[in-house]
Formats: sequence, C-alpha cells, structure tokens
Amino acid sequence: MLTPLNQMSRKELSLVLLDLQKLSRHFGSVQALREVTLRLDTGTIGLVGNNGAGKSTLLKILLGLLPPSSGSGTILGCDIRQTGLQLRGRIGYMPEAAATVPLLKGVEYVALSGDLYGMPFRDARRRAHEVLNYVGLGELRYRRLDEYSAGNLQRLKLAAALVHDPELLLLDEPTNGLDPAGRMSMLRLLEDLIAETGKSLILCTHLLKDVERLCKQVVVLHQGTIAKSGPIEEMTRAAENRYEVHWRDANSDFLSRFCRSGGTVLHQGEVSEAMALVALPETWQARQLFELAAQCGTVVTRLREDDEDLERLFMRLTAKQTTGTQELTA
Amino acid sequence: MISIARVALIQVLRRKTYWVLLGMGLAQFIMFWSVIYAVTQLELPQPVKQNILREFGFSAQMDEQRDNGYMVFMERQSVVVMILLAFSGSLLVGSDFRQRTLPFYLSRRIGKRHYIAGKLLAVSSLILFLTVLPALSLFVEYGAFTSGWSYWKENWRIPVAVLAYGGVLCLVNSVWLVSLSAYLQRAAPIAITWSSLLIMPGRLGEYLWKASDNEYWRLLDPWRDMRLIGQLFFGKFRKDFDRDLAWWALALIAAITIVAFVALVRRVRAVDVVE
Repeated sequence: MLTPLNQMSRKELSLVLLDLQKLSRHFGSVQALREVTLRLDTGTIGLVGNNGAGKSTLLKILLGLLPPSSGSGTILGCDIRQTGLQLRGRIGYMPEAAATVPLLKGVEYVALSGDLYGMPFRDARRRAHEVLNYVGLGELRYRRLDEYSAGNLQRLKLAAALVHDPELLLLDEPTNGLDPAGRMSMLRLLEDLIAETGKSLILCTHLLKDVERLCKQVVVLHQGTIAKSGPIEEMTRAAENRYEVHWRDANSDFLSRFCRSGGTVLHQGEVSEAMALVALPETWQARQLFELAAQCGTVVTRLREDDEDLERLFMRLTAKQTTGTQELTA
Repeated sequence: MISIARVALIQVLRRKTYWVLLGMGLAQFIMFWSVIYAVTQLELPQPVKQNILREFGFSAQMDEQRDNGYMVFMERQSVVVMILLAFSGSLLVGSDFRQRTLPFYLSRRIGKRHYIAGKLLAVSSLILFLTVLPALSLFVEYGAFTSGWSYWKENWRIPVAVLAYGGVLCLVNSVWLVSLSAYLQRAAPIAITWSSLLIMPGRLGEYLWKASDNEYWRLLDPWRDMRLIGQLFFGKFRKDFDRDLAWWALALIAAITIVAFVALVRRVRAVDVVE
C-alpha cells in the first residue's frame, strides 16, 4: 500500500519523481492504460513493454500532452492534468524519430530547442554550444543536419533535450538504429551524464540490456497495466532461490509433491525430458530437491540456478499475463 | 512562435533555387521603383508620363484612375509569391510531418497553437516581405519624390489599403498553404494541388460565366476573389458589378479559410507527438 503524498515529509516528497493513481486512458473502445497506479523515486527508470503495451500513451501523459481519461497523478510535483506547458519546461524529451529541421545547422537546431523551451535567444545560443561540446559534437556544430550520421543525430537530439538543463530526461529509444559501436558510445555518454549530473531519466526502449546497464528501476507495462515495477536489483535478486530443473519420467508425482512441500512452479515445459522452472521454499537448499526426486523414484538430470536477467523476467511476465488473459477470455 | 517563424525563413533563404523567385520579386520591385522615379524625376513629355503610368496602372491620386499602381504591384507580386509558396510548403510544414519533427516542436514548452501560429507567421512573413513592404516603400518613394505635404494628406488611405490587402493575402495564403502542406507533405503533390486550386476553379468559373452569362460563377476563381477583396480595400473597381461581387468574394474566401484552419488544427493533434 502506498503512503498518500499528503502524509509524506518534505524530504520524502522531494524524492518522488512521479506518482500515478488509477490512471486510465482509452481511445474510443480501445483501453490503452487501465488503472495504472505507480510511484517512482527520482533516479534512472526503464520503461519497457511490447508494442501496444501503453508506453506511448504513458509518455504522452507524462509529457502533459494527453489528459488521462480517469485517475490522477503528479510528475515532478506537477499535476499532470493541469500543467502541460510548465511541466514540459522541466522535462527534456528526446524523440525516437529523426525529428530534424531541414537545412538547419546543428547549433541552430539545439538553439531552436532552447528557444522553444522558453530560453532567451542569446542564452539558448550560448547553451547550445556548451551542450554540443558536452555530447561530443563540438567539431560538427556548424554542419547541416542532413550531414550528420545516425549516431551523431542521436547525440544531437540528446543535446536538444539537455539544452535547458531539465530535471528529468525522457529518452525514447535513444540507441535505436545505431550500429554496435554507436550504441556503446551512446550508452557511455548516457552513463557519464547520469553520473555527472545526477539527473532523473526515463528510458523507453525495447532493448532491455540498455535498461539493465543504465537504469536502477524498471517499469514493465503489459496490455495497459503495470506488470511489474521496482528496483531492477531487487527483481533479479528474487531469482536467487529459483532453479531450472530437468528430470526423467514425466509421469512421476515429483512436481505435485514439490508443490505440496511449499515450492512454486513458475513455468513447466517438456523438451526431451520433463523440465520446470521452480522456486524453492525459503528454507530449502538445492540438496532437498534431489532428495525429493529420490523419494519419488525419479532422477534429476540437470539442475541450474535460474540466472534470470531483465530480458527473461520480461518474457516471463508478459507471457504469464498473456496466458492469464487468454484463460480468462476462454 | 517567433523562433519557429525565424527558423522557417532561414530554411527558405538557404535553398538556392528559391533565390530565383526572390530575384523575380526584386526585379518587379525595381521596375515599379524605376517607373515612379522616371515620372517624378525625369524631364519627360506629359503624354509619355501618362502612358507609363497607365501601363503600370499607376496613380498616386486614387480618384484619378480606375486602377492603382500599388494594388497592381501587389497583384503581380502575388504571382511570384504563389509560385514560391507552392514550392516552399513542403520545406516549411510538410517536412515536420514527414520527418516527424512535430514531436520535436510539441514536446517543448509550446502548445499546438504556438506551432500553428509560428508556421502561419513564417508564411505570412514571406508574403509580407514580397508584397506589403515593397508596396509601402513604393508609396514612400512616390511621396519622397513629390514636393509638399499634399501627397501624404490626400493619399493616406493607400498605405492603410496596402496593409489591409496585405493582411488578407497573408492570412488567407498562409492558412491555405499550411493546411495543404500538413496533409499532402511532399513537394510535388503540394505544388500541383496548390497550382490547381488557384487555376482550375478559375477556368471552370470563366467557362460557366460565359455559358450562363452569370457573373457570380466567376467567384469560383479564388485568385480573382482575392483581387476583388484588394479592390474593396483600395476602393477602386474595374467594373461596377465587381463591388457587389467583392463582398461575396470576401465571404467565400473567409469560409474556405475557416474550413482550412479547422482542418489544420485537427491535423496538428498533440496525440501524434509520441508515436
């Protein structure tokens, strides 16, 4: 249960980046977001989900561009229903698309971004030079946008998002379309940025490795709801007592006895032999699993710790919920 | 809003092919400037002066002739402006949709009304620099070469009419072009549709007018409608019946502009920002 914001201390409040309460949004009969309740602290957050999961809709709402159909929320302490322009002045948004202005030079593009954020023209121009140097485009600042490579264009868009020194960066697929070297370079730049400025960041991407590398927290969206959210470390730590177990004789009552002993079967499958992804009871060691198998008259052929990374967690969460939904529909 | 317009003008000035059109506009301005200079400063026989003035539809005295040179100048400049707009619509507006630059604008601290106003201001600035400002400077030139204050006193309505007609040209053309460009986006479809809209209905109207002898069919010509509105401001009509038609033309152009503006607002929806 989340503590209501009005019962939190000033210090605690300053740590809250966004707080959404039963936020829903529908487009006609399509429900894009369903009663999303979410509180995230300042820091680096990955926003992941399949296509159609509701990421874009959530981004639009966070940017103050789209009002929710129902529910309420704050981001950076601003009411998302009432403070669109004010809110966008505190957020730096880097779009996924090329979003270039033809015939403009790099420095003009970034300065234009500053102008549009409400900075005085001179300040925007001066700051454009600074951020272009910061993102490593100092030498290329007077080149026209159509002469920039994909990697440099991503850096330029990052500079345009940084120009007004925002409190929160909202990056939409920042490494999309980059070659491996370009991707690594962009990730290093973002890592440095986070380390040096301590800015909060919401990274919206399909590349879960990028999220693992850059973010401390993750929000997994699935079919308009929050499938899971929280610190990545905690989520992956939860996998510590999980094992992938293979055994002979699929007809034995090994699994049913395991469940009766307090274990949990997370996933069950069959390749050439019986296999399951299981969570052991808290007091158990792996040795006890072998003992149970022996009691059931079967042989464990393979046992390995479930080293679930974010990608597997994501697959499990989205697969489980899809199955659940299908069952409900049936 | 101003920064959007400023950047749009930079874009137009950076495209070298547009300099040809800007040069044509400048050449026309120099020609009219020279006419004023010739009739006011050179020792020419009076009939020659009158012929030159008549040729360019010029008279600083509004009641002396049916036409007025400033309006003729603006009408002729409009041809250059229309061609320039036909080709620049894709650069100024279409590319924002095609290259998804709209998210770049709307995710900043501006709303869609600022974006629309910025783009309209950009197109209006082009029209202003090519028609209104040169026309006003011609008026000043005529006055500067004329001795005495009587010119300014007697013709005070001319700059007002230039500004009013220029305002209509700016508003109507910018709304039409930005709307069209927001939907069609690419240069060729915009140029073809823009030219067709300005020429084809006029041809049809003329055919129907000749077939039915009904002058109202000529209202189908948007270009002529804008000229009629200009004549309304300058208070000079080529035919008496044009005075009646001018008000209908104003209503028709206003209606089309409102429809185009509504279509534009619907197109620039904030929900398109994050795709």
